[in-house]
Amino acid sequence: MSVVVLVVYTGLLVAVGCAAVRLFQGPTLADRVMALDLMLIAFMTGIAVDAADRQDTTFLNLLVVIAVIGFTATLAVATFMERRERPEDPS
Amino acid sequence: MNPVSSFFLLAGTAMIVLAAIGLIKLKTPYARLHAAGKASPVAFILAGIGAAIEVGWAGAAQLIVAGGALVVTLPIAVHLLFRAVHSTAPEHDPTLDELGRDRA
Repeated sequence: MSVVVLVVYTGLLVAVGCAAVRLFQGPTLADRVMALDLMLIAFMTGIAVDAADRQDTTFLNLLVVIAVIGFTATLAVATFMERRERPEDPS
Repeated sequence: MNPVSSFFLLAGTAMIVLAAIGLIKLKTPYARLHAAGKASPVAFILAGIGAAIEVGWAGAAQLIVAGGALVVTLPIAVHLLFRAVHSTAPEHDPTLDELGRDRA
């Protein structure tokens, strides 16, 4: 494992930590969903970097599956939020 | 590790760290979703280019398919989240609210 790979993993961990902060304190539900999406993309980037590090393409099959499942989950939550009634404008 | 692929991997990491900082620091939900949703597929594509140089053609094909899936699906997801924010959090409405005017 080279220095570059260590730096990349550290950066991905920092990104996941920032997303976790937004996940716990996010005022709206969409913020939390976006934080989980960012975590998922950091995980996908980690899989790609791991494949480059070990010269092993086994786990690259997972990437498409993760992308499509994350999209489906976001779509489900967005549809669920749309169905809520919009509260009256305070004006 | 090849210096070109190292450069691409580090660029992708910098991009996703910037997206996460934007997700934390920006003030309104629209700005936060914009920062995180637009920069993260670019981060994955940059890191995927670096990884594709390392693993050769078979892995590069899988990375291209994954990046294409991300580019196709993520803007749609972010757009739906924008609409969901608009319909649940009216205190963050912009000054020119064309979606609310069309729905009224």
